[in-house]
Amino acid sequence: MTGYRAIPFLLALLLLILPAAAAEQSQIAAAQVMVTNVTLNPQVFMVGDSGTITVEIINNGAQSVAIRRATLYDEKIRVDSRAYETTMYLGAGNRMTFTFTVSAPVPEGIYYPVFSLDFRDAGYLRYPVKLRVQDQPLTVAVLSRPDVFTGGKKEKVEVLVGNPRDNAVSGVTVYPVGEGIDATPTRHFIGLLAPDKSQNVAFQITPGKSAVLEFHVDYYNGINPHTEIIRVPIDVGKSKIQAEPILSNLRVEWSGTYYTLTGDVTNAGLEPANAVVITMGEGAVPQDPYRQYAIGTLQPDDFSGFEVTFSVDGDRTSVPVVITHKDADGNLYTTTYPVDIPAKGTRKPAAGTEESPLPVIAGVIVACAAVIGGIVWYSWRKR
Amino acid sequence: MKHVADLLFAPARFFSAMEGKKPGLGIPVLIAVIGAAISALAAYAMSDLYAGMFAAAGTGMDMGMFMGLVGAAGAFIGFIVIWWVVLAGAFYVVSIPFRGKGSFSRTLAATGYGLVPTVIGSALSAVSLLSYLPRITVPVIRNIQDPAIIQAAITKLMQDPAMQEYTLVSTAFTIVFLVWSANIWIFGMKYARELNTRNACITVLVPVGIIILYHLVTILAKGFFMGGS
Repeated sequence: MTGYRAIPFLLALLLLILPAAAAEQSQIAAAQVMVTNVTLNPQVFMVGDSGTITVEIINNGAQSVAIRRATLYDEKIRVDSRAYETTMYLGAGNRMTFTFTVSAPVPEGIYYPVFSLDFRDAGYLRYPVKLRVQDQPLTVAVLSRPDVFTGGKKEKVEVLVGNPRDNAVSGVTVYPVGEGIDATPTRHFIGLLAPDKSQNVAFQITPGKSAVLEFHVDYYNGINPHTEIIRVPIDVGKSKIQAEPILSNLRVEWSGTYYTLTGDVTNAGLEPANAVVITMGEGAVPQDPYRQYAIGTLQPDDFSGFEVTFSVDGDRTSVPVVITHKDADGNLYTTTYPVDIPAKGTRKPAAGTEESPLPVIAGVIVACAAVIGGIVWYSWRKR
Repeated sequence: MKHVADLLFAPARFFSAMEGKKPGLGIPVLIAVIGAAISALAAYAMSDLYAGMFAAAGTGMDMGMFMGLVGAAGAFIGFIVIWWVVLAGAFYVVSIPFRGKGSFSRTLAATGYGLVPTVIGSALSAVSLLSYLPRITVPVIRNIQDPAIIQAAITKLMQDPAMQEYTLVSTAFTIVFLVWSANIWIFGMKYARELNTRNACITVLVPVGIIILYHLVTILAKGFFMGGS
């Protein structure tokens, strides 16, 4: 009778011992779960960037482990996605990944949001994830540009885009923006720009007027779009190296029905002057045979003679000579020079006018003919 | 002086007085040289135009002076050869079918005397040149290496209205005074080649007619009478 009385006591003792043993085994199994890989996208955040943190775990034990909850938390780094609240079993030797969306509205620095894995039958796993926030955008610089832009003339502008960040950025695109500015190409696509690397891009810029030229550099850090802008003031003026036709050795003569202007045109600039044409401006009426004088291309320091013929309206003492030339892009440039013409009193008299000696000489010839006729008649009569 | 008046106004009397005498070439040579000198001076005066034409080409006045001297020498020799020697030769040859008897030196002397009106005409032509020279617009040659440019400039100079007018005037003087010379030459050929009046007229008028015709054709060909200026 005494042995039977011990049975309930033994059962009660067993009930006390068995759960404790099971809990100990679960803790041993949970201890075999560890974090094997953490991936951040982007690798380095910029201030305000959003991204993802992916944590991979593995169960290295021989028993499956029940996971009740997986979460990520930090005081400053904001976790935008919800925690994994569903109970899951991680089988022996299996892997499992947890991805969290985070944003970093924080100053530059290094942060450690904590990945937490709560086991159903055991404790929890805490794993701090290193997250860098770097407030360093791409650098943009103008490598070369003309000192002075000329309206309507295409000029080359080179831009350097560098990546001083510790991670690569993607989708890098450069494009110029400005009022009245025409650019070729309209944009350059660079694509992926590795850390500590740079890329040159060149644009042909044609300004219509003075303006501020902006070079926009768009890029992505992870999924976050960013833009850097560099401003270049465009002052439209006279180029320091453009072709500059100069007139010299001018000579104006009156030939009776029109003026003849002869002279030399010299290219005093540093660029070739193409399609040089000389004609007369307002107040002068071009006349044949040289209404215009086409010279063609004048290299720097080269010169050529020219000749134009014209008449004038009224009693002008000066007329404008118009020189047109084109640059390599076909832009037309016009230069006007005033040229003095001889006053009326010094003009050579026109042939056939009252100033011509022809009437007098013709009278002399007729008189001579008459006298000679008389002499001939006289000489024969005397026979 | 009386001889000069006879030569110009009564050539029959002038040459009759020379009949039976040995022909002297001194005075005819003097006349021809004076005419040649006047022609040379006129040609040299034209060098001012050439100097202006080549000034811009860097040759300066030297080129114009050189061309002026060459032109003067050509005009001097040309006057003597063409107006005296060649014309006398033409008279001599044309008169051969008419059985002309006089020597060539007599023909040369008679032709030389007959050049006096031509010399007067040349002098008047030279004077008229002085009034036309300042009115002539000289084209500028800037590249002396290009013959086409030089040719175009010379053509343009010849087409200058004042130049054309002068050419017309000069030709008129030449023709008018050539008629006077021809009249003297007719009597001169009668004396020099012992021809009758008809044959003497033919002997002189054939070469002179050709010369006048040449001048007229040249003028007409250039369109001087068609408003070319």
